[in-house]
Amino acid sequence: MAVKTEKLEITNNIRTLRFFANEMTQQELAERAGVSRQTILAVEAGKYSPSLELAFRIAEAFGVPINEVFGYNLHTDKEKGKP
Amino acid sequence: MSYQEKRTVMSVASGVLLMIAYCVYALVKLGLDSMGDVRIWATTMLVFIGIGVATIIVIQIVFHILLSIGIAVKKKIRDESIDDREIESSIEREMVEDEMDQLIELKANKIGYSFVSVGFVAGLAALALGALPAVMLNIVFLACMLGTIVEGLLQLRYYRKGV
Repeated sequence: MAVKTEKLEITNNIRTLRFFANEMTQQELAERAGVSRQTILAVEAGKYSPSLELAFRIAEAFGVPINEVFGYNLHTDKEKGKP
Repeated sequence: MSYQEKRTVMSVASGVLLMIAYCVYALVKLGLDSMGDVRIWATTMLVFIGIGVATIIVIQIVFHILLSIGIAVKKKIRDESIDDREIESSIEREMVEDEMDQLIELKANKIGYSFVSVGFVAGLAALALGALPAVMLNIVFLACMLGTIVEGLLQLRYYRKGV
């Protein structure tokens, strides 16, 4: 019997939002969110999924709701399972 | 390279240097002939633990001083009118530690500890198979050192590839 597994990929619009916020730098966003520039860089590149708290703080820095900053894609893979 | 990566590189480098120093001392100074004397090995390991702790503290202090000087010089070159308070706050901003750093440290720690555990079990197995107690001590000690190095390397990997 085939088992469906769903992989959730977190996406973000941080680069676009930074552009529309007067080309806000990663350093500026990091300072507003209270984290390091390295963390913002990793979140923006999709290398790190932030905690809910940080996600809200990033959204707050742009002054938009969280769903305008973060979204998700569901990938469905079919895997062979045990009968 | 970010502050966290530089700090990790320093810690890995000091770990590698210490491990090489121990191996050289153990092989050249003590040699395999002294394997029967557990007391010598225990004393040597205690001394190396002390040296290791002192080395790490000194390296971290020197690293932070050099990094702060580097940031201050960079800021002064860019803007000569910048005041000391502004320089201080940029140094603090550079050295901020957040949730990603903590997560990376936790993940790397977990794997580092598993190295130590494997080393301890391997040491016990060696003892059970009839090896000398000094061999067991060396296996456990080297596993601890290796665990620290692996931990640092993993941290670097997580910073580069993502968590």
